[in-house]
Amino acid sequence: MNDILVVDHLIKKFGTFTAVDGISFRVGKGEIVGLLGPNGAGKTTTIFMLLDFIAPTSGNIEIFGLHYKDHRGEILQRLNYSSTYVEMVPRLTVWENLLVMANLYLVPHPKGKIQEVVGRFGVGAFINKRYEDLSQGQKTRVFLCKAFLNDPDLLLLDEPTASLDPDVALLIRKEILVARENGMTILITSHNMAEVEEVCDRVLFINHGKIVAEDTPEELAKKVRQIRVNFMMKDGQKRTMSFAKKAGFPATADGRFVTISVDEADIAYLLSGLADLGVEYGEISIDKPTLEDYFIKMSRIGGGV
Amino acid sequence: MNWMRVGAIIQKFWYSTRRDTFRLFDIFFWPVIELFIWGIFSIFLSKSQVDGVNLVTMLLGGIVLWSFFTRASKDISLSMIDELWSRNFINLFSTPVTMGEYVVGTIFVGCMKLIVSMILMFFLAYVFYGFHISSIGFYIIPSAIGITVFGWTLSMFVQACFLRYGHTVEVFIWAIAALVQPFSCIFYPLSALPGWAQTIARLLPTTYFFENMRNQMTGHGIRVGELALAFGLNFFYLMLAILFLNRSFDHARKNGNLVKNN
Repeated sequence: MNDILVVDHLIKKFGTFTAVDGISFRVGKGEIVGLLGPNGAGKTTTIFMLLDFIAPTSGNIEIFGLHYKDHRGEILQRLNYSSTYVEMVPRLTVWENLLVMANLYLVPHPKGKIQEVVGRFGVGAFINKRYEDLSQGQKTRVFLCKAFLNDPDLLLLDEPTASLDPDVALLIRKEILVARENGMTILITSHNMAEVEEVCDRVLFINHGKIVAEDTPEELAKKVRQIRVNFMMKDGQKRTMSFAKKAGFPATADGRFVTISVDEADIAYLLSGLADLGVEYGEISIDKPTLEDYFIKMSRIGGGV
Repeated sequence: MNWMRVGAIIQKFWYSTRRDTFRLFDIFFWPVIELFIWGIFSIFLSKSQVDGVNLVTMLLGGIVLWSFFTRASKDISLSMIDELWSRNFINLFSTPVTMGEYVVGTIFVGCMKLIVSMILMFFLAYVFYGFHISSIGFYIIPSAIGITVFGWTLSMFVQACFLRYGHTVEVFIWAIAALVQPFSCIFYPLSALPGWAQTIARLLPTTYFFENMRNQMTGHGIRVGELALAFGLNFFYLMLAILFLNRSFDHARKNGNLVKNN
């Protein structure tokens, strides 16, 4: 696989504070890689270094085999970026903003290209509205239009579906997957773990400026061995809670429903123990660990698993 | 009205002012500048041998030429701060556009605005005060270019400061013209300034442009050597400003100011 992005021992210090602490990773052509981590982990600093807005203290960034020092224009011509944390010109209409952007990217036939992306992201209904009059969700969609204007080879997406209604978020995820099919490489940050699980081939988990885990979303989720067993009780709720307490399993009760968290190796012990006590339940379900569980666990412990 | 809350507002201003040198600068700067300019102008008037008609013409000529500077000195810095205020800066500079392209684009727009506003200004000066552009003659062309270029130079300097120090230096966008004004000898000759101020004035290209404007209007002709010196100083300061802007851009990339200011 050709590496589109190579980050090698990247360090960024602001005075005595180390925001990014020697991270290294590669992203291959056509890959979608998630950059996850709690607030302040170093994700945004990393993204801004990839955009050349922040100069690394040391380390190396290679995009398309090129370096910013001598090839800034070439790199940015083939790259695009979308974030919910930046804005376009408020007094300009959506159309005007996109036209300016298309011209900055030297898009051939800019008007035709704008029509195309506007159609893809359902922006047509407010294309002539001023940017400042849009809702946050509409702004996010406009930014995604902008991000696809130059058909980038590498796309950096910072929270691409924040503030979007579920149906629009679904549309965006579909477009991201279509873009991958067309060979686009995407680095994505998101707090929506279900989204990351759905679209990302690989996840880099960053905390305190270091990459503390790197794997597929499924494999990372498997590293959380704690699962939740949900019972709808018929008889023996008190005995169940008492058993869980003695065994040291965290348990919660809500009406007739009891949820017990156990290590997956202890499921058999839990079920046989409840059977021995004569507990009766109408329904049982097991919640497997998700990437979100992994995220929460990693954020709490602040290090590797 | 709750005076406790009023006190809190005062407290907020007090905290932000005492931690911000540039805000203190704003408080003391304007009164000093006003006093300086009009004080010297009053002394000049009381000693002036120039008749009333010529004096008015010279004042209007000074105002017209100075307006080239005030507009140009805000062009680049104001457009950049506008990008930052609207949080469009990152969006803009994540495209392949370079700082040089941005500055040139801004200067081009500045030229267009300048031409329109100057035509209007000359027209109004003629209608209301009978001031005719011919009183300056063809000298208007080199002097307007020279003064405008110096305005852009200082605008680049302010932009560079902005990249380096952030929003706290916003005040300079409006103050820079007033800072240069007393030493540029717009309304009075160089000789009207005290000695120490004359030294500063001689380092500014604007001084020579306004001195020669008065020479031209009073029929004493243009001193070519002074004009050459003015353009030489202009070129020198422009190069310094470009260098400072580039260095400040790199500095802002290193300390994260490019992102923080957005």
